[in-house]
Formats: sequence, structure tokens, C-alpha cells
Amino acid sequence: MSTTRRSLLAAPALLPALALSREASAQAAPVRGGTLIYLEQQTYTNLYPPAGGFYPNSGVLNQITDKLTYQNPRTLDIEPWIAESWTVNATATEYVFKLRPGVTFSDGTPVDAAAVAKNYDVFGLGDRTLRHPVSEVITNYERSEVVDPLTVRFLFKAPSPGFLQGTSVIGGGLVSLRTLALPFDQLGDATKIIGSGPFTVARQVLGRELVLNARPDYAWGPKNHPHQGRALLDSIRIIVTGEDSVRIGGLLAGQAHVIRQIQAYDEERVKSRGFQIFAPSTRGVNNSIAFRPDNPLVADIRVRRALLHATNAAEVVSTLFSANYPQATSVIASTAQGYVNLSGMLAFDPALSARLLDEAGWTLGASGVRAKDGQELVLTAYESPPQPRNKDTLQLVSQQWARVGVKLNVLAGDLGSRTVDSLDPAKTPVAPAMVGRADPDVIRSNYYPTTRNVLLQKGGVSQRVQNFRDDDLNALLEAIASETDPAKRLSLTGDVQRYILDKAYVIPLFEEPQVFAAAPRVRGFGFEAVGRPSFYGTWLAAR
Amino acid sequence: MTRHLAQRIAQALLVLLAAFTVAFVLLQALPGDAVLIKFLGSEMGLTADQIAELRVAYGADAPIWEQYLHTLGNFLRGDFGYSIRSGVPVSQLLTENLPSTLRLSLLALAAACAVAVLLALLSQVEGFGWVRAVARSMPSFFVAVPVFWLGIMLIQVFSFQLGLVSVIAPEPWEELILPVFTLAVPISAPLAQVLIRNIDAVFGEPFVAVARAKGARHQWVLWRHVVRNAMPPTLTMAGVLFGELLGGAVVTETVFGLGGLGGMTQQAVANQDVAVLQAIVVLSATAFVTISLAVDLVMPLLDPRLSRAVSAV
Repeated sequence: MSTTRRSLLAAPALLPALALSREASAQAAPVRGGTLIYLEQQTYTNLYPPAGGFYPNSGVLNQITDKLTYQNPRTLDIEPWIAESWTVNATATEYVFKLRPGVTFSDGTPVDAAAVAKNYDVFGLGDRTLRHPVSEVITNYERSEVVDPLTVRFLFKAPSPGFLQGTSVIGGGLVSLRTLALPFDQLGDATKIIGSGPFTVARQVLGRELVLNARPDYAWGPKNHPHQGRALLDSIRIIVTGEDSVRIGGLLAGQAHVIRQIQAYDEERVKSRGFQIFAPSTRGVNNSIAFRPDNPLVADIRVRRALLHATNAAEVVSTLFSANYPQATSVIASTAQGYVNLSGMLAFDPALSARLLDEAGWTLGASGVRAKDGQELVLTAYESPPQPRNKDTLQLVSQQWARVGVKLNVLAGDLGSRTVDSLDPAKTPVAPAMVGRADPDVIRSNYYPTTRNVLLQKGGVSQRVQNFRDDDLNALLEAIASETDPAKRLSLTGDVQRYILDKAYVIPLFEEPQVFAAAPRVRGFGFEAVGRPSFYGTWLAAR
Repeated sequence: MTRHLAQRIAQALLVLLAAFTVAFVLLQALPGDAVLIKFLGSEMGLTADQIAELRVAYGADAPIWEQYLHTLGNFLRGDFGYSIRSGVPVSQLLTENLPSTLRLSLLALAAACAVAVLLALLSQVEGFGWVRAVARSMPSFFVAVPVFWLGIMLIQVFSFQLGLVSVIAPEPWEELILPVFTLAVPISAPLAQVLIRNIDAVFGEPFVAVARAKGARHQWVLWRHVVRNAMPPTLTMAGVLFGELLGGAVVTETVFGLGGLGGMTQQAVANQDVAVLQAIVVLSATAFVTISLAVDLVMPLLDPRLSRAVSAV
């Protein structure tokens, strides 16, 4: 009991001292050594680099693998890393990379042209016998050529202007040939992922803990990174702590240094204790609600527009989130490449909404739900657990739509039903969506029928789509994927945003960040371009 | 006795085959399958053709009976397949998670037994009526405490406030203290209840009256005659509870971030990771069958009448 009282009394007295020491050591030179404890909400799954989009996977892969190029998280420029320089031909069908000499994987084998070529052959084409899937960010890949031990050439069947940025993402993490020789089903074992990154896997307890150790001979960080040489920390313990209150409590009690995923309503409590909050943007397609126009209920553009104007995104943000979740002003985030501010098209206007629904023939009945030819306007969506507070978000939107006489049922459902039903526009006329990537290509891969196909057009994975297909949209998306002039590519990205909102295919809600909290003594905690943590330059200041 | 044992083992094997088959059929009946979920509902953004190719590679579209025989054959050879979700062999998941679950369950069961016996003895204390009353009301109270809440409260108070034990990166000796306590509370309740009721019942038996008439003291009767006769049903109960503990520690394992079979099962269910679920069902069935077999074999040692009954058959 006395301990509690003492710590309670001491707490207010300590706060100014903490703030002081923080300022003092902010100017101090970085300290080398120490073990950082990082609490993850979920365990990593498969660490095949192209599967690195899943947050827990990228948290591991970003520490243990290097990429050909480095996307500066501030400017989004592509800068040298393992590749010292590169050339691209005018049609973006041929890329030549000159590699940095002396780079090795942690098993001692060289990161040379042959290794890089093999990595991209697998990421670009997949491997049927080992079941390695193709990387989402590489399109039109044909083959590689080893020009000399430090020069590699990649050839494409058709223009692939997004490839250069694709070499900088987590999914392009380079791994040893030994790792690539293993079947896909064994790559969930972190000890088998051999990279050339600043950390290596020392120990794992599946589903519970992963220990990474700094590589003492690491000398090939991104050319323009503020830190050079070996990592400052000696090791990182990534511990899975699924329970929100235990993660935050552990951080505040000094048992952990950095935690991932803190809910908006916990941010204030963490900040008020002098702890740091980081909310890097994921710079991709905003957290949105997408329509599946194949479903007759939302096939009418007036209905979709009505629902767009019935949605109050500002209320969603102010009720459920914090300032770290900016209200959406377009299809993609304001920090994304090619962003155009289209907030004028996203106005909350229930009166307009009601008028549009009346025009479309959906009239308000006694039950409070609009109906047409005896059918009620009742829509269904499954919540998407990986997105922050998605159930709450959908339920709030459901209340907003109810005010104009549209009912939205929000289902939880098991993963199997959710996966199968979300392929069927008849069962899920609306669906939550988001994806992060700092390249205009992200918008194409989100809406194009053969990739993520968020709108469920005919020609994708789903066999249930009757006839919806928007060839004008697809032509625009194809143009982004093949336009080699960067300025034109960005202006096409603007056109797509306008087109999608004009057709009211999606209702953008907010720009999704990744939220982390860190102890006051954590310094130099960085992020790559889409908000994945980087501990390369991180260090722990003296207490 | 040998014949009885052989019969029991044959029965056990039949139960296992039945468990395997029922689990297989039920898992197949779920909507969607692991391959579809992994590659479609995921972050990988694969095209329709790529997913179709992967389905062929995984044999996800083969006829069900073919998949059944294939899986059964693999199980008999000790090959449980791969977890599609986590990308490791199921056997590796099991070997990394089973020891921690076994340790937690055994310690929790031992602690629960100790608590149950203590409560049962307190319920028989002479004099001190209030002690008896409290001891008798504890089991209902313990059963009513939500494990999730208890776990979080213990962490908040003993780790985060008082700093007595670490839960985030604990030493091996300290990581089990709070979880064992958390699990022992609800598990001790039914044990104590059964034990108390049986002790009461045995005290009413004629042979106790005889022992008392011979001049035996309360303590002597309690230890020498009553407890021994009240044990068998409690042992059966403990066996069943232990089986449940193996897979039922999900909440405790999750709250304390311990890893283990519980958490593994929960993840597998959430992601419809069929290979993992199939292995867990067979493993749990094996555990139940083995434990009930062991309890049956131990019983005659406590109660000689049972062993005579068996040899008479």
C-alpha cells in the first residue's frame, strides 16, 4: 500500500523533471546499446516480403530487410539504398540498377545482381512449385538479366512506371536465396527470413515474442538517412500483447518502450503522462465506404449520391477519432501522391440527399424506411476488423443514413462468411475499404477489376457479379499504370479521383494513420513512407 | 485386467477416429476455405488467375472424400500439414505452444486442488460457524468472478501499480504467478463444491457412525474415512477440468500474452485455419481420452471395490 501512495505522490513532482530531461537529452548525442521492448497488437503471419502489407509483418520485415531504393518519407522522392543509381528507358519497360558493393545477407552470401534478379523474378512472376504469390506492386514483369555482378536489368512486357517506387516498399524487401528456396508455407517462421537489414532474427516464440539483434557489420543504410552505420539499439524484443489495456498499462508502467495501435480515446491519457504519440499517415486510399453498383439497390447513381451527402464524415471523426485522423477531402489521402482537394464534392447535405432519393423513386413510408415498388432500401455491410473502430464507424454512418430513411445493417460474421459474402454484390451492396501505398498506382490497384476490385466489377475474382463494369474508369486506371510522364501520371490520378466521386462510387471518411505511443526516453523513432515503424536510427536516452 | 485395458484402448482409438471425422466434415461445411481467406481477404491484392492457380497448388478444389483420405493418411504418419494463416507447419505451432499450456494448466490445477481441499477442510471445522459458512459460500463466489476481469485487475494492481511482478517481459519464474492464480480461482470452485458435498454425504454414511461409536475423534474420522471416500468423484471432476484447461485457457493466455494452445485455437478459429483446427480437435480428443483412461486406472487404488468389480468381469 505504501508503494502506491508514494508513487502517487511522486508522480506530479516527476513530470516537470521528465520534460526537462527530455529537452536536455534531445540535443545530446545518440546513445548506443540497450534493448527496446515493442508491443504488437497481433502476431506476424507469413513473412514472404510481398505479404508485408499486414502491419505486424511489416513491423518485422522493415527491420530485417533492405530495399533496392529508399522512398524518403518526407519528400516521397526515390533515393539510393542497395541500388546506388538506376536508369529507366523512355517507355518504362526497362530498368537498370547499379548495386552498392560489399553488401551481404546475414548468412554471408552477397547481395549481388544474381540475388537481386532472383528476388524480383519471384516477386514479379511468383513460383508455382513453391507457391510464392506475385507481388501486388509489380505489374507487367517479364524477366531479369544479370549484366555484371553489380548490375541488374529488369524487362517488362508493357510500360511499368510504378516499378521504381515498387522497389522501395516493404514488399520489395530483399532476402537470401536460401529463403527464396523455401516453400511459401514455411515463411511464417521468422528465423528462416534471411535479409541484409540492420537487424537479424535472434529468437522467436511463435505467436508470442520475436527477438531481433543488431547486425554489427551493417554499413549500407539508405544513402540520405540521417543515421549511418550499425543500428544504435543492441536488440528489439517484439512482444505480442493483444489486450489494449495491458499494452497501454505496460507502456505507462515503464515495462515497454513502444506500442503499436492505440485507440483514439486512449491518446489523451498517454499524452498527459508525458509520453509521445506518433501517427504517421498511410498515404493511400482513404478509409471509405465503397458501393458495389452491381447490386440493383445502389446501381442508381442518385441513390449513391444521396448516401454520400447523407454521410457526415466530420461527425465520424469528431465522435470516434482524434486530430490524428484527418477528415477525408478526396478518394486518397492529402499526403498521397497526386492528391486533389475535392471536399466540395463531399458536402454533408441531408436535404439534397432526401431530394435525390425522392427523385430516384424511393419514397418514405410509415416505417421510416424508404421503399420503391414494395422493396425497402435496406443495405448490408460487414465490418472490417483490421480498420480502426470500423464497427463503430459503420454504426454511426448507419444512424446518419437512417435520418434520410435508408437502413444499413452492420454484420460482424465469421471470416469465412465475410470473405465469401463480400464477393457477392447481392449480399454486400456496401463495404468498408482502405489501402496504403505512396504511389499513384495504389488507386489503380484498389479499383481495377483484376486486382483489389473494391467496386466488384465483372471480370475479377468474384463469379457472382452479373454485369457491372465501368470501362471509362478502367481506361483511366490503365492509363495511370502505363503513363510514363510523371506529371501526366499525377494529373491522371486527379482525374480518377474526380471520376470516382462524380459517380459516387465511394464515400471517403478519413485519412487513416498508424498510431504508436512511445516512452519519453525513446529517440529517433522513424517511419517509412506509409507509416511502418523503422528502428534503424532509434535509441534510448538515459532515464 | 489386461483385457479390460485392451478394450478401453480400442474404444479410445474409435473415439479419436470419430472426432477426426466429425471435425473434418464440420470444417468442410463452413463457408469459404483457408486458401480463399488467406489470399483473397488479405493484404496481398492477388488477381483472379493467381488465386485460381494457388487453389490448384493447395488442392483446395479436390473432392471432399479425396481430401479426407489424404488428410487422414497424413495424420497417421504424424504430418499435420501447414497453417495457411501463419505459414509454419502445424507441428511446429504445437511444439512451441503445448509446453507453455501444459505448464500453466498443471500448475493451475495443482493450485486449484490446494484451494479446494483447503475450503473443504474449512467447511468441516468444529466450532467457528462463520468460518464454515464462508468456506461454503466461496465456491459460488469464485465461479461468478469473470476470468477476464480478474486477470486485468491483477495485472493493473500487482504489476502496473505495485510493480511487484512484470507481465510484459517477465522472467520465466514470474510469468506464471498471476496467470496461475487467475485460472485457479474459477477451476477450484467446482472442485471444492463436489468435495464439500461428498464429505457431507459420507459423514451421513452408517460406517461413519460406527467409527464414531467406537470412539474415534472427528479429525481421525475425517482424514481416515471420510476424505478418502469423498475423493473419487472429485478426481473424475479434476480430470475433466484439466482437459478443459488445456484448450480453455484462451482468456488468461490472451490477457497475459502467454501464447499457448488457447490463443492458437482462437486465432485458428478466427481465420478458419482448417489444418490447425483439425490438429487441435484430435489433440484435445487424445487428451480427454488419455485423462479419462488414467482416472479409470487410478480409481481402483483409492477404492478397492472398483478393482474387485473389474476383475469379476
